[in-house]
Amino acid sequence: MRNNLSSALFAAGVTFILSFPLMGLQLTTEGVNLIVATSPAATFGYIAAGVLAVFFVQLFKEQILAQLGKAKPRPGTISNFLPTDATRAKLIKPGVLLIILGALMWPFIMERGATDLATLVLIYVMLGLGLNIVVGLAGLLDLGYVAFYAVGAYTYALLAQDFGWSFWACLPLGGLLAALFGFLLGFPVLRLRGDYLAIVTLGFGEIIRILLNNLTDLTGGPNGIGGIPKPTLPAIQTDPEFSVVGLEFTRRASEGNVPFHEFFGMSYDPASKVVFLYLLALLLVFLTLFVIRRLIRMPVGRAWEALREDEIACRSLGLNRTAIKLSAFTMGAAFAGFAGCFFAARQGFINPESFVFKESVIILAIVVLGGMGSQIGVILAAILITILPELAREFQEYRELMFGLMMVVMMIWSPQGLLPMKRPHIELKQE
Amino acid sequence: MKKKVAQKVLGLSASVLLAGSFSLANAETIKIAIAGPQTGDVAQYGDMQVIGAEMAVEQINAAGGVNGDKIEAIRYDDACEPKQAVAVANKIVNDGIKFVVGHLCSGSTQPASDVYEDEGILAISPASTNPEITQRGYKMIFRTIGLDSHQGPTAGRYIADKIKPSKVAVIHDKQQYGEGIATAVKKTLEEKGVNVALFEGVNKGDKDFSPLIAKLQKEKVDFVYYGGYHPELGQMLRQAAEKGFKAKFMGPEGVGNKDISQIAGDASEGLLVTLPPAFDQRPENKDLVQAFKDKSEDPSGAFVMTSYAAVKVIADAVAATKSQDTDAIQEYLRSHTFKTPMGEISFDDKGDLKGFDFEVYTWHADGSKSSVN
Amino acid sequence: MLEVTLYFVQQLINGITIGSTYALIAIGYTMVYGIIGMINFAHGEVYMIGTYIAFMAITGLSMLGIEFLPIVFAVALISSMLVSSTFGLAIERVAYRPLRGGNRLIPLISAIGMSFFLQNYVRISQGARDIAMPSVVTGGWNFGPEHGFQASISYMQIIIFIATFISMTALTLFISRSRLGRACRATAQDLKMAGLLGINTNNVIAATFVIGAALAAVAGTLLGMYYGVANAYIGFLAGLKAFTAAVLGGIGSLPGAMLGGLILGISESMTAAYFSTEYKDVVSFGLLVLILLFKPTGILGKPEVEKI
Repeated sequence: MRNNLSSALFAAGVTFILSFPLMGLQLTTEGVNLIVATSPAATFGYIAAGVLAVFFVQLFKEQILAQLGKAKPRPGTISNFLPTDATRAKLIKPGVLLIILGALMWPFIMERGATDLATLVLIYVMLGLGLNIVVGLAGLLDLGYVAFYAVGAYTYALLAQDFGWSFWACLPLGGLLAALFGFLLGFPVLRLRGDYLAIVTLGFGEIIRILLNNLTDLTGGPNGIGGIPKPTLPAIQTDPEFSVVGLEFTRRASEGNVPFHEFFGMSYDPASKVVFLYLLALLLVFLTLFVIRRLIRMPVGRAWEALREDEIACRSLGLNRTAIKLSAFTMGAAFAGFAGCFFAARQGFINPESFVFKESVIILAIVVLGGMGSQIGVILAAILITILPELAREFQEYRELMFGLMMVVMMIWSPQGLLPMKRPHIELKQE
Repeated sequence: MKKKVAQKVLGLSASVLLAGSFSLANAETIKIAIAGPQTGDVAQYGDMQVIGAEMAVEQINAAGGVNGDKIEAIRYDDACEPKQAVAVANKIVNDGIKFVVGHLCSGSTQPASDVYEDEGILAISPASTNPEITQRGYKMIFRTIGLDSHQGPTAGRYIADKIKPSKVAVIHDKQQYGEGIATAVKKTLEEKGVNVALFEGVNKGDKDFSPLIAKLQKEKVDFVYYGGYHPELGQMLRQAAEKGFKAKFMGPEGVGNKDISQIAGDASEGLLVTLPPAFDQRPENKDLVQAFKDKSEDPSGAFVMTSYAAVKVIADAVAATKSQDTDAIQEYLRSHTFKTPMGEISFDDKGDLKGFDFEVYTWHADGSKSSVN
Repeated sequence: MLEVTLYFVQQLINGITIGSTYALIAIGYTMVYGIIGMINFAHGEVYMIGTYIAFMAITGLSMLGIEFLPIVFAVALISSMLVSSTFGLAIERVAYRPLRGGNRLIPLISAIGMSFFLQNYVRISQGARDIAMPSVVTGGWNFGPEHGFQASISYMQIIIFIATFISMTALTLFISRSRLGRACRATAQDLKMAGLLGINTNNVIAATFVIGAALAAVAGTLLGMYYGVANAYIGFLAGLKAFTAAVLGGIGSLPGAMLGGLILGISESMTAAYFSTEYKDVVSFGLLVLILLFKPTGILGKPEVEKI
């Protein structure tokens, strides 16, 4: 009990110091002078209540824990609540089908706002899946992933602006160019390890952003690039003559293109644009998923994971460590390039503000939260990280506070991520 | 003020929820979205917008509403991030709102306005000064603030004609707003044959400008124009004073904020600022200013009155056209004059204010300002 | 000729000041990294809180009419160190301790979450506006011709050099001589073994965070007095630069943090002086990449030994 009392006093004291100066006192201005004012009396009430609560909870910790049920709940993962492996195997196929069906149906059953949000989620899924190759599979900590995203976005924006190239021509190019950047950066830095690699990639991300901001003649600098055309749907026209045209989802199409609604003889629905963008994003995500699933099962994918687990063993088996790392880096960058291309098309306007370090952090958080290497986990995490701040809109200015708190809580509750990657394995039963 | 906002949050969020669920049943309210940064590092400007717009809503409703209908303001937070701005715009479409007061940052207004134009939602930005926004032939996009391309020449002409410095440096913060104005100033100065020795960007958020100041000292610059906001210029003034660098400084309305005197102290005395006329100083706004003070809110923020005016304009147009048809309203806006705390305002074809002039003021160390004329 | 030299000297002084400020924050990073091998991503936020508390203390004292410098310094330093180290303690408890021993990326993410949380905690409780405080220490020395370019150094700049130097020396002595310092080094070498030998590793790690946070508070107080401006977001940029400095010098090495900070600061001021302010970050990050290419563990970092 005495032991408890001192630790309770300590905890209460800590709570007091954490809350009192910042919440109880306020730096405000009187005229042009800075003064310290005290907060309204109610705030002191909250502080006191908080301190007392911490004190009593600490004091009667054992009793409370006993009340709550003997032991502390073990930190777990969602997998603990999921069915066992055997039933899972049976459920997987219909489950996946159901999800795909749901994703396809989404824009038709949900409202426009929800569809647009889902598009944003899909962009992050793409980014998360791409970074997952680098961080989750190959185990290389990349804090500058957003640079490749920017390369993709600016590729499309610039080519569309200066040469009038279409989205479909720029998409592969954006990916390719981002991959090239990944390759060029990867070449010198991949002999760095761990945190050193992290800071160099971070620096690289910042350099790209500052260059985009400074090279005003090329990139528009802080003004960014506006009026980026939306993607079109290629279709075959037969009426005046046999030709391929792009269907645009606008009221009136630009030259050489046909509005989607006229082509099909429907009335104009502004929401169709949002739906089309969503479906396009979904297609890109499915493609990404498919390609990465294949890659993981190919020798190069196996090598990524092997390298992550044990570099020295890999080398002694004759694997070329630089080539493997470089391939992961390049692949990851390519997907960011695709995502960037699509992002530019969705926004219609890009500037360097969209490619700041915080964006890299959010993508990294998606990968880690998802469970490092697990694709389903990454998808889940992307949904969670994008939706959470949206749901928290009701909390207005507390929104980011809640977001930060959730990140901490989720990591503590489930340090392995939402759905850690599982390999097919055999367990020996112990008798 | 923050505290008050914080305590209101629960009530507000409840009312937002209610508003959302009863949107169909209650067709009599006129909903106006206030879209701007309520979080993030420019939230302080979002605060100005919110207090201005909400004051307008409150006062219009207290005076009987618009043709008997009440206005309801709903806040949307874009954190000044372009990607969130598009999401917010789509959410506003989704929520069936026809009027937007926002966004604040030009980088947010630009992508969001594509959506508004498409959907026939009328948006009035109280703060975005980038010329590009209204140059795309959009019908639905207006603003109750001047343009960078107006402010720059005003400043440039004043420097060239009145100050006649021997060597000028033009510095900016590499943001859309700051660099835009700085470029316009530089252009005007060069046309007038003034020697611009240095045109350079600094990083937003930087604290230490001593290398730059030493450089200015070495170049013997005697006049510095800064395109950007008050935190950076305040630091620059302060450090320049410490280093004994005695050039005259000038900035746009983004620096014309009491905080600059707080940051720079005595060094802010004599700073030149181009400002929209100080609306809160006008005698006819005395009651309004008092109303802000009663709620312990600060009416002097640059976007408070412009946000108030934006709401007022929408309310007046709705009252006059007796409809919420935005197409009729945008035509009405282009063809009529409105009485607002900013004075009588009217819009040109592009959606910009007609005859919105900036004036040159001298700033004083106690946070006050006086006209140079 | 004199002017060219004076200009160079002035920029060198500016660079060293900026560098010292980075170094002061970087010491905290390097300290935590050296002991538990983790980046404390919330360190920048602790620095920001330190600045706020120092502002409160100084403003409070001046409202009471106390402006005697030693007292102002002492009260500001002590109060901000007290509050900041409590935050350091809390960060370790909440965001690091439950996650120790797992994948190293996981505490990184929880620390990033913590840093978002703290930023917004201060933004909500103190408001989003910049707060500014008049200079406490004014004046300095000028040298150079009466009517020409003069180089100058302010008293506050000198205080910052000295404080950085003292903090670093004190910390080095503490690590190498004191009992707790020895425990720190043992824990850094092998956490499990240190535990087996009777060191309370939990306390040692908590102490590391507390000391790191206290140093951030020193930085927050001094830089707050020097620049006189703060908002809830200053921690991010400062943290990023300090982190870069720490890695540049070799993370985990105390003199490395100092050296890294100085190199970064001087390269920034020289870029601004002879090229353009716009490119100073490009140059400093470029320099970082370049140095790491030739010295993959930083300038003074120990080469990593691959254990087989």
